[in-house]
Amino acid sequence: MAIRWVDGLKRGGVLVLAFVATAFFFLPLLWIVISSFKTQLDLFAIPPKWVFQPTLANYINVLRSDFRAQFANSMAVALASTLFSLLLGSLTAYGFSRYSLRGSSFIQFWILSLRFLPAVAVMVPFFLVFNALRLRDTLLVLFLVYNIFNISFAVWVLKAFFDEIPLELEEAAMLDGYSPLQVFLRVSLPLVRPGLVTTAIFCLIQSLNEFLLALALTVRAAETAPVGLAKLQTFLGTDWGRISAAGTLFMLPVVLFTILVRNELVRGMSFGRMK
Amino acid sequence: MARLVLERLDCWYGRTHAVDHIDLTVEDGELCVLLGPSGSGKTTTLRMIAGLVRPTGGEIYLDGRRITHLYPGQRGIGMVFQSYALYPHMTVREQLLFPLQAMRMGPAERQQRVQAVADLLHIGDLLDRYPSQLSAGQRQRVALGRALVRQPALLLLDEPLSNVDAMLREEVRASLRRLQQELRITTVYVTHDQVEAQALADKIVVMHQGRIQQVGSPQELYRRPANVFVAGFLGMPPMNFIEVEAISEGGTLVLRNRWLILPMPPEWRKDLPRALILGVRPEHLRVHPPREGDPMAAEVIVIEPHGHEMILHVRVHDHLLRCRADPRQLGFRPQPGDRVSISFNLQHIHLFDRTTEQRIA
Repeated sequence: MAIRWVDGLKRGGVLVLAFVATAFFFLPLLWIVISSFKTQLDLFAIPPKWVFQPTLANYINVLRSDFRAQFANSMAVALASTLFSLLLGSLTAYGFSRYSLRGSSFIQFWILSLRFLPAVAVMVPFFLVFNALRLRDTLLVLFLVYNIFNISFAVWVLKAFFDEIPLELEEAAMLDGYSPLQVFLRVSLPLVRPGLVTTAIFCLIQSLNEFLLALALTVRAAETAPVGLAKLQTFLGTDWGRISAAGTLFMLPVVLFTILVRNELVRGMSFGRMK
Repeated sequence: MARLVLERLDCWYGRTHAVDHIDLTVEDGELCVLLGPSGSGKTTTLRMIAGLVRPTGGEIYLDGRRITHLYPGQRGIGMVFQSYALYPHMTVREQLLFPLQAMRMGPAERQQRVQAVADLLHIGDLLDRYPSQLSAGQRQRVALGRALVRQPALLLLDEPLSNVDAMLREEVRASLRRLQQELRITTVYVTHDQVEAQALADKIVVMHQGRIQQVGSPQELYRRPANVFVAGFLGMPPMNFIEVEAISEGGTLVLRNRWLILPMPPEWRKDLPRALILGVRPEHLRVHPPREGDPMAAEVIVIEPHGHEMILHVRVHDHLLRCRADPRQLGFRPQPGDRVSISFNLQHIHLFDRTTEQRIA
């Protein structure tokens, strides 16, 4: 009886703690969403107003501005880079996992090492190179640069997932009459789906959030949303309403995608379903 | 309808000679068991037949066709893996359809084939389940179904019973044998379990250190083991081995060592090498009440009752022997620590050369 009581208290305590932690991280998001529906006056009211007359003015403003193009740029680059990283990453990871190659661990380390570099370190060289190639301020340049860290991330995550697949499954498929490519597409790839989803989310977030390289390599045509948002902070003042509305819109794709694949994502993050 | 021929098949793994130039013929419809301890090369041999391991040398013929270098899927072989290797993301029905889709077979015929295999293996009510929802015995049947659905010329089984509960194993073994005989499909079966091998095989191939030690029917191998390894590997409890010298005493051949004098019947060959190993199975040793002055006086160390029979571990001088005895025919009840006498049934002894370890008589 007493033990059950203590247990109940413990579980209650954990729940409260989890709730507080979640609230702590969730509050800023909530704040942004609420703010996006406030007028300039309500925004700066002290104490903060929880009950107010919501307005869509911020959204209308934002959608009439450059943000629309910036948002489209961000999404286009992020999606393209994510898909390309999944394609190249899964093939590369599969190769490393299944075929022995001279110096394989060295090459894998080299791929990983591309992620060690802080963006600041390569910003200037990239600027010079792409300027010389006349690729500055194009979506292509962002796509290329984002692939550097996305592909290396994809290779490492997916290799761990491919390593988990028993070799016998692929041998069985070979005996069932499938070529190596078909085995990859019909047996191995479906089995690492949680890994693909996990990789996709992280690549997507990484590409959408990237700021420094986008700032350095774009001017206007290929400007992405984070850079555009930052530019709303001017010396004449900051339009918090517009920033909140843009931020809310910018969050939506990732949130929707996460909700869509949440089951796979949990499996992917907790790993080891094969055994 | 297929006959499998292996010709001087050879395989190196780095510096390990996994399979050493083996020759083997498996006749059409035969169930051939590759038997040996782990590391004996039996699984490597199977995997070479399947095309999953590239042989270093030699040839493989199936039904007269050279398949040594064909892609696994083109050999017309079905295989059941030790782990069963069921695809976790497919239902049983999809698993069974999977090999047929690769054959580009019409949908109607595919369904028909799947149904036929499902009926044969009694897995019709499992078709919409995933492998994780099946018991070990059911998984084994599904794996067998997937191997058979293509109607292969040759069936390969890699320790298919090792994941089945001991209680079920005998039942599954019997149904496997019945199925194989019904389909008359040429089968190669790998196991390290001699009981399984003896229960199933038309032909047993005993392997050790990459070489074939002996090929024969279960009875042949049991009655006339070709060497010390085969003699010791088959039979439970294993055969007793005693080092003896062959000496001619007054025209009769005598096998002896420090504690044993065994005069042989006159018809025995006299030209034996001197250093021999005498092999005798536990059931061919007889235990008597102690006799005065018997040089083979023995002390009972352990008694293992096994229902209708018992295994006695006895010590003669410094040598341990295992005897199998029927308690009802023994006439007395030995206890650990008792003294007993041992005698040999000379019709059932085996002699091996001590240097080559090959059978002499």
